Amino acid sequence: MALEIERFLHTERLPHIWCPGCGLGIITAAFLRVVIDLGLERDKTVVVSGIGCSSRAANYLDLGTVHSIHGRALAVATGVKMARPDFTVIVFTGDGDGAAIGGNHLIHACRRNIDLTCILFNNSTYGMTGGQTSPTMAVGDRSTTARYGQVEPPFDLCRLAEAAGASFVARGTAAQARLIERLIKEGIQHQGFSFIEAVVPCPTEYGRRNALKSPLEMLDNERTRSVTQAQAVKLTQEELAGKIVTGVLHLDEDAPEFQQAYAASARAQAERAGARVQIDMTQKLPVGEQK
Amino acid sequence: MEQWHSHLLRERVDQSSLLIQGNRACALGALDAGVTFFAGYPITPSSEIMEAMAEELPRIGGVFVQMEDEIASICACIGASLTGKLAMTATSGPGFSLMQEALGYAIIIEAPLVVVNVMRVGPSTGRPTAPSQGDVMQARWGTHGDHPAIVLAASNVADMYRLTMAAVRFAQRFRTPVTVLADQLVGQMRESFSPELVGRYRLTSGDFDFTPGYIRPELAPEVRPPHILGLDEHPHVTGLFHDETGFPTNDPDESNEFLRELYNKVAHHREELCLYDIKNEGKGRVCIVAYGSCARTARAVWRLAEYEGLPVEVLHLYTLFPLPVEIIQQVARRVEFILIPELNLGQYAHEVRKMAEQWTTVIGMGKIDGTLFTPRELLDRIAELTGKYESV
Amino acid sequence: MLGSVAASFRPRFGLLADRDFVEVRLGGSGGQGVVLMGIILATAANHDGRCVVETESYGPEARGGYSRSDVIIAEAPIDYPKLDNADLLVALSQDSAQGYVKSLRRNGVLIYDSEIVKNPPAFAGATIGLPFSLWAKEETGRIQATNVVALGAVARITGVVSIQSIREAVSEAVPAGTTEVNLKALDRGLSVDPAEWETDQR
Ligand SMILES: Cc1ncc(C[n+]2csc(CCOP(=O)(O)OP(=O)(O)O)c2C)c(N)n1
Ligand code: SF4
Repeated sequence: MALEIERFLHTERLPHIWCPGCGLGIITAAFLRVVIDLGLERDKTVVVSGIGCSSRAANYLDLGTVHSIHGRALAVATGVKMARPDFTVIVFTGDGDGAAIGGNHLIHACRRNIDLTCILFNNSTYGMTGGQTSPTMAVGDRSTTARYGQVEPPFDLCRLAEAAGASFVARGTAAQARLIERLIKEGIQHQGFSFIEAVVPCPTEYGRRNALKSPLEMLDNERTRSVTQAQAVKLTQEELAGKIVTGVLHLDEDAPEFQQAYAASARAQAERAGARVQIDMTQKLPVGEQK
Repeated sequence: MEQWHSHLLRERVDQSSLLIQGNRACALGALDAGVTFFAGYPITPSSEIMEAMAEELPRIGGVFVQMEDEIASICACIGASLTGKLAMTATSGPGFSLMQEALGYAIIIEAPLVVVNVMRVGPSTGRPTAPSQGDVMQARWGTHGDHPAIVLAASNVADMYRLTMAAVRFAQRFRTPVTVLADQLVGQMRESFSPELVGRYRLTSGDFDFTPGYIRPELAPEVRPPHILGLDEHPHVTGLFHDETGFPTNDPDESNEFLRELYNKVAHHREELCLYDIKNEGKGRVCIVAYGSCARTARAVWRLAEYEGLPVEVLHLYTLFPLPVEIIQQVARRVEFILIPELNLGQYAHEVRKMAEQWTTVIGMGKIDGTLFTPRELLDRIAELTGKYESV
Repeated sequence: MLGSVAASFRPRFGLLADRDFVEVRLGGSGGQGVVLMGIILATAANHDGRCVVETESYGPEARGGYSRSDVIIAEAPIDYPKLDNADLLVALSQDSAQGYVKSLRRNGVLIYDSEIVKNPPAFAGATIGLPFSLWAKEETGRIQATNVVALGAVARITGVVSIQSIREAVSEAVPAGTTEVNLKALDRGLSVDPAEWETDQR
């Protein structure tokens, strides 16, 4: 398999910029295994990312890749998906990218329930800019901008996504590569907005400042803190503190998907306009023919 | 494609001239030019553009999305543009400010796109219901870093139509976002206008030939090949400096070449891009250089000048950037004064002064009270200038 | 601006029919349909094959604030789009009559709703007060039709637009389903008896 995913990597661009022990690669590899598993077409699969270490993954994938601007990946992806409903569009974002500067786009993408798969790499810090506080950082954690410990409470992004209207919400960690692979696969297969929070270690910028000595220690920590939803319901509030609840946390297969709802409404309008409008809405407009 | 714009064209039935609002004429121009994707966020005084697109696009197989803000709007347009769709958004000052970062992204990844800014008086919320030309330099330099910019300015309802079409063409031709500046007056006024006659305006060296919906790579032979997702390739697109493969580079030589090429693809096509109209050519001691709604006052002055016995030329600019250096320098060489009335504190006058002051005296007239210059105000200033000159 | 292209000749008669550049100001308060009035008048002038510019201005409140529409009608393309001196002021509120009378030319025409404008301002030119809102109520039962009644009278008295064009413009501009009642209102205005206003003229 390791060799197989290379088909979807720009190997000539390696080595990557990530630090040794960084968890981003684990999730990226899991994603590529899903691409292979699902037999996604290279020319019809587009990864849109923002800015950050996690977003840099787009630089290495041999797929259609749009490395956009900080926080706006979901907005760009919305344009891509609406223009080409036949594409499989995946968004790579970070906790700063997707939940701070891009938080508004996140909740609106959830609300629209547009058929995108958003993988949010949550490392509880701003890795790329040197370990500043992120909106998912726990109270008490240290960062370069929370020198005396974080005092603001963090987001629970999965609950946020669910409340905002995402129809598939899941969480996994880099310590559970198989689980995350399954979640990404189900997310891509799901029709509607799929939000997948991937908890990843950032040993360089987070671990170092928070008494987690090595990458391995960080992965271990993630593993021991993980509980399934079935286990979680049996725990008290106190017992749940600090735990990472994993698995598919919310699924609504009947929620109307935005692009399809738009197309149905547009088709109805076109029909109402009658003979004056001669356009087959069901036909995907082929870009290639315009050459 | 007439049948497509059923409602907008309802007003067109049985008459060669229709009474239409500037903002709707802009939407009509966009649709006639083949725009099939619009994402926007409501803001006075531009919302009618968005409303017209919301009405028309869904029923012609196009896409309209109201996004959560202007940043999302321009980003969605960029996404659509990357798939080969002709995309447009429209806004006013506060929204235009929010769009600046993404505008730079569109420039660096060479995504064709049209942004219409119906200017209000600013800064900030300012005066939303009064005209201004305060965003001229923002349209040129609003996003950070050295970059090319194509900026057109509409002075009437017919311009809203044809300059939007021209913007679509330029965007495709030069693979870059194009900004159309209008103002509250031009955007919201209604004026009689005949789309059929628009073809009579010669705007560019090429004729208008629009394929609905899609970016046409062959229109841009001298520009880098486009990145179109799904067009039998799977490009990598990034806002980082990149080489011709699209992948990031930090190499000094490559960086230098990259940015210069980006800049020069517009700078080197000034002749094709600079649209203007000159009245009384060669007959004036004073030349009024004007654009947007101020050009209307300037044209009124041109008609009145003869009665008043004043030697006035009028240079009406439709393209503000790239700077129409050649025509301005030609004028500068022959007139004694260049007078630039603007609804700002001298933004464009400053640019013209840099180009022309070695030959002539450049005088800016600024107005920021939300009203237009009257013909009388310009005539008085000209009389003062020419009179003063005689007494010297 | 290219209006004269397809104009079939439509006769116009009235106080201002011979002017080839007419500036009209319509004033009232929000909710009276002043902007719609401006659009209808401008559309009619466009149908007459003339060049038209219509601009509007209103207070921040949708209802109750001031509301104004300026229409310039000309034989040649209009450059300067703002009203300079009005040839015609139509006032549907006391404030607009009072406030805008200064913008009228000396040889201009002031037309106002005599039911609403109880203290018409002093004006040296033609001054015509007619009970538009009363007529609207009598004819259609709806005071909202006052604007269209007034337009009919304006067309008849001034000739700034032809009768044929104003009828067409009303049918095009009003919401579907209200065409009949609005045409009725228009006809009431159009049927203004010259005797009703000539006496007022100084
Ligand atoms: C508008 C803007 N503000 C700030 C930055 C600087 N910046 C780049 S990456 C980043 C944070 C990224 O954090 P996160 O999304 O958590 O990604 P990570 O690097 O941790 O994977 C910031 C603030 C930027 N590129 N653009
Ligand atoms: S800084 Fe953190 S997130 Fe970024 S590459 Fe290094 S370990 Fe990974």
